[in-house]
Amino acid sequence: MLVAIFQNIINALQWGSFYALIALGYTLVYGVLTLINFAHGDIFMVGAYIAFFVATFFLTTVGVPGWVALALTIPLTMILTSMVGVALERVAYRPLRRKGANRLYVVITALMCGLILQNANLALLGASRKAFPSMITEHVYNVGGVIFTDLKIAVIVTTILSFFALQKIVTKTKVGMAMRAISYDKFAVPLMGVPIDNIIVVTFVLGSGMAGLAGILFAMSYPILDPYMGALIGWKAFIAAVVGGIGDIRGAFLGGFLLGAVEIMVVAFFPSTFRDLIAFTVLLVILAFRPTGLFGVAKTTKI
Amino acid sequence: MLLSVENLEVKYGNIQPLHGISFHVNEGEIVTLIGANGAGKTTSLHSICRLAPPEAPRVIAGDIKFRGESILKTSPSDVVKNLKMALVPEGRHIFGNLTVMENLELATYSREKGADLKQEYQRIFDLFPRLHERRQQRSESLSGGEQQMLAVGRALMTGCTFLLLDEPSMGLAPRLKYDLFRTLKRLNEEGMTILLIEQNASLALHLAHRGYVLDTGEIAAEGTSDELLGNPDVKKAYLGG
Ligand SMILES: Nc1ncnc2c1ncn2[C@@H]1O[C@H](COP(=O)(O)OP(=O)(O)OP(=O)(O)O)[C@@H](O)[C@H]1O
Ligand SMILES: [Mg+2]
Repeated sequence: MLVAIFQNIINALQWGSFYALIALGYTLVYGVLTLINFAHGDIFMVGAYIAFFVATFFLTTVGVPGWVALALTIPLTMILTSMVGVALERVAYRPLRRKGANRLYVVITALMCGLILQNANLALLGASRKAFPSMITEHVYNVGGVIFTDLKIAVIVTTILSFFALQKIVTKTKVGMAMRAISYDKFAVPLMGVPIDNIIVVTFVLGSGMAGLAGILFAMSYPILDPYMGALIGWKAFIAAVVGGIGDIRGAFLGGFLLGAVEIMVVAFFPSTFRDLIAFTVLLVILAFRPTGLFGVAKTTKI
Repeated sequence: MLLSVENLEVKYGNIQPLHGISFHVNEGEIVTLIGANGAGKTTSLHSICRLAPPEAPRVIAGDIKFRGESILKTSPSDVVKNLKMALVPEGRHIFGNLTVMENLELATYSREKGADLKQEYQRIFDLFPRLHERRQQRSESLSGGEQQMLAVGRALMTGCTFLLLDEPSMGLAPRLKYDLFRTLKRLNEEGMTILLIEQNASLALHLAHRGYVLDTGEIAAEGTSDELLGNPDVKKAYLGG
C-alpha cells in the first residue's frame, strides 16, 4: 500500500513537472500582457521537434557521445524555442498591441498561431511520427519496491530548479520588477526609462524557453513525437495555470503539480479512460469554490 | 534653449486638443503652464515625453526639439535615458504591486551599471522621510499624499536633469504642498530644470521664473511670472480676481 502511494507520488510529480513547466509560460505572458497565449502548447511541441533535430544532428552528423549531445541539446533547444516564441510576438502579437486591438482578436490570433505551428509542422515533416533518439541510458532504481528512473528524478528536479530561478528573476531583478510593473500600470513603465518591448521580449524568451525545456524532457521520457502532441497537454497546462491563479507563477507551479496528482490518483482508482473526465471535473469544482484560482487575487495584481 | 515646442498640433483620433502651440524652456529655469481643465496641459507634457497612443496624442504638425534637435522619433524610454527628462504624471501612476523601494529601484533601470546610488536614495528619503518608513510596504497601501511623494521620488531616481510635473501637489495637505514647492525650489537651485503644471496658478507663478497660459489648445498669454501675475486678464481668469 505504502509502496503504491510512493509510486504514484513519483509519477504524479513527473507529470506535474511537464504541466508546471508549460503552465509557467502561460502565466508569465498572461501576468505581463493579460494575453492568453494559446499557441503556447504548440510552442512546447515545436520545442520537442527542435530537440529532435538538434539531438539527431549531434548524435549522427557530428557523432559526439550521448551525454555531450544532451549537454548541447538542452541549451540549444531552449534558445531556439525562445526564438520561435519571440518571433510569434513580433509577427503576430506586437502589431495588434500597437493598434490597441480588442482582446477577442488577440485570442483568436493566438489560437491561429497554434494551428499554424501544428500545420506547418504537418506540411513540412508529414504526418508520420518521429522517434526521439536516445541520448543517455536510463537507469532503473528499485527502492523498497518503488520503481523510478534517474530520468524521472531529473525531470522533477529540473522543474523545481527552473521554478526557483524564475521566481528569483521575477522578484529580485529589475527586469522582473519591470514585468510586474507592466502588469499593474503599463502607461508609466516607459516613464521609468524602461523600454516596454524589450521586457515583453524577455517575457516570451523565458516562457518559450521553459516550454522548450519541457519539450526535451517530455521527448526523452515519451520518445514519440507528432504535430498534435502539444494540443492536449497545452490545454491541460493552461487549465493548471488558471486553477493555480493565472498570472501568479507560484500558482502555475502548484497548479501543474496538482493536476499531475489528480490525474495519477484517478488512474489509481478508476479505469484509465476516466482520467481526463474526473481530473477536469475536480478542477472545475476547485474553480467553482475559488474562481480566482488558488493564488489569484481578484483583479488586482499579476505575477 | 533646452526644450522648444514649435507650432505643435496633435490629435487623439479626430479630437484636436492642441492647435499650434509654441513655448520653450531654458536650462535651469522653472517654467509653468497654467490653464483651465481640458486646456491641453497634460496633452502637452505627454507629447513632449513621446508617450505612445492611446494615452498620448499623435503629432500632426509642428515640432518638439531638445537642444535644437527634433525628438519626434525618440522613444519614451530614450527620452528618460538619453535626454534625462522625467515626468511625474497626473494621477501618480505608481506601481501599486511593487514595494516603495522597488518603485524607486525600477526608476534606475536605464542608469549606468555600478553607479553609486546610495546617496541618491538617501536624498529621496531626506526629502520624504515617510517613504523611508514605508520602504518595504506595497505602495498601493500608501496614502494618496504618500503616493504622490513616491511619484516625485521615483522621477528623481531616473537621474533626470529636467523634471516635468503634472499637478504634483494634487491631494497633498497644505503643509506638504508647501514642502513640495520648497523642494522643487531647492532642486532648481541645484541645477534642475523644471516644467510645472499646477492648478493653483498663483502658487505656480510665485515659484516659476516664467509661465504660459494655455486656453483650449492655444497659448493665450506668456511672460515672466511677475508680468503674468500683473496681467489683468490672467488675474481675472486664473488668480481669482
Ligand atoms: N486619451 C485621450 N483621448 C482622447 N481625448 C483626450 C485624451 N486625453 C485628453 N483628451 C482631450 O484633450 C483635451 C485636453 O486634455 P488635457 O488632459 O490635456 O487637459 P488638461 O489641461 O491637462 O486638463 P486638466 O486640468 O483637467 O488636467 C480635453 O478636451 C480632453 O478631453
Ligand atoms: Mg491635466
